Amino acid sequence: MKNTKMHLSTRTMNLDFVRKVEALSGSSVRRCFQCGKCSAGCPMRSFMEHPPNRIVRLLQLGQYERVLAGRSIWYCASCETCSTRCPNKVDLAAIMDALRKCSWDAKGPSKESYVQLANRLFIDNIRSYGRQYEMRLGAVFNIKSGQFLKDLMLGPKLLSKGKLKVFQQKNRNIAEVEKIFSRIEEMRRKGEAP
Amino acid sequence: MTPKNVLNYSYYPGCSLHASAIEFDASTRGLFKTLRIGLHEVPDWLCCGATPAHNVDELLSLSLCAKNLELSGKVEGDLAVACAACFSRLKTAQHKLAENGEKRRQVEQAIDAPVQLGKPVKHLLEIVARDFGLERLAAAVRKPLAGLKVACYYGCLLTRPPEVSELDDSEAPTIMERVIAAAGAETVAWSHRMECCGANFTLSRPGVVIKLSGDILASAKAAGADCLMVACPLCHGNLDIRQQEIEEASGERYNLPVFYVTQLLGLACGVAAGKLGFESMIVSPAGLLKEKQLL
Repeated sequence: MKNTKMHLSTRTMNLDFVRKVEALSGSSVRRCFQCGKCSAGCPMRSFMEHPPNRIVRLLQLGQYERVLAGRSIWYCASCETCSTRCPNKVDLAAIMDALRKCSWDAKGPSKESYVQLANRLFIDNIRSYGRQYEMRLGAVFNIKSGQFLKDLMLGPKLLSKGKLKVFQQKNRNIAEVEKIFSRIEEMRRKGEAP
Repeated sequence: MTPKNVLNYSYYPGCSLHASAIEFDASTRGLFKTLRIGLHEVPDWLCCGATPAHNVDELLSLSLCAKNLELSGKVEGDLAVACAACFSRLKTAQHKLAENGEKRRQVEQAIDAPVQLGKPVKHLLEIVARDFGLERLAAAVRKPLAGLKVACYYGCLLTRPPEVSELDDSEAPTIMERVIAAAGAETVAWSHRMECCGANFTLSRPGVVIKLSGDILASAKAAGADCLMVACPLCHGNLDIRQQEIEEASGERYNLPVFYVTQLLGLACGVAAGKLGFESMIVSPAGLLKEKQLL
């Protein structure tokens, strides 16, 4: 959708989505006056098809499908440079979180499945072990992404330096972690939480 | 009889410090013991959720941090955090839960307990520079790091956003330079002190890290640095563990050891080198430290 023409009309603009993003992020989208400072300082802009200020502009115009279809939101590093520098107090990092949540919840196909896979495995590890299990994270990512040889040379190097723990110690609060996950799921089922 | 501690903290190491960043944990404990600052690990702390949790599920991220804040209440003293990312998540949770009643109610339901926001969360740098104090630090130096040119690398989450971090100026911080200067080192002026290293793309898109961390190493080298100093396990991983790949991709030879702030301070304050985890670093600092007569 990068270079296709954009037709603005009440039919193509979805302002409900903008209100949802504003509620989730706690930040105004409409305050942005397109100075471009967020994109100027964004370390990830060269990896994105829409730089941060254009994401906000597309949201202002109700073009959420373009935003969610692209890889830009998954290439935000959450470095907070944009939010810190915005002269109009638009919390773009929080808006990016809200957009990723919308995309994640929609479970639609994403151009950035690797980033989503890494996030998914990271969160699964917290649920299973209470803490991050770096060795499993790397190994399962490689298997599930089909990149069996990725970082193959790093493993022995890290092991020899004592940086890879082969076994993960289970956390004694693990039952409490599972309860937190299931309570959140329950709240969402009942519509009590976003 | 062991001498009494001058300060006491509860301690949240975070997941990396028990695995890929063991030298950060070892050197933190070594340095603080020498300075007689007590660290008492929070029992059975949980992962803070790091970037992946808040990226797709803010409620989960806030709930995990709130649970950790509750657990930290079992140990006395302000909460000391080493990892810049954990520090950022815990402080962000305190900030957001203090100002948003609706989020606080949701989190309280998720953790089935009242949210506890009273305990100050402090980064190690803050503890060393403010609570302990730079004068006392300078007085504790046994082996000044004379002649060592250090590029202090802040990365993203130590200082941003400033209303959450409350650590230092968000565009021109100096806390790392002040701390390491008190230990006798020289610091270099360089351009990439606060540029992102590529963060957690190291797993999903290592190419991003090769580019961004490569720029950081090139900038530090061009400024004449002998080494880099960091306070984040993710930055460390990207700059140290991936340095060889970066060199292969760019055709440049950097050979820049990447120290944790506590490793260099520990060395200066007379902590035994064997307790500072130098052997865990991928880019070996042995040659540099011998050349500067610090080992």
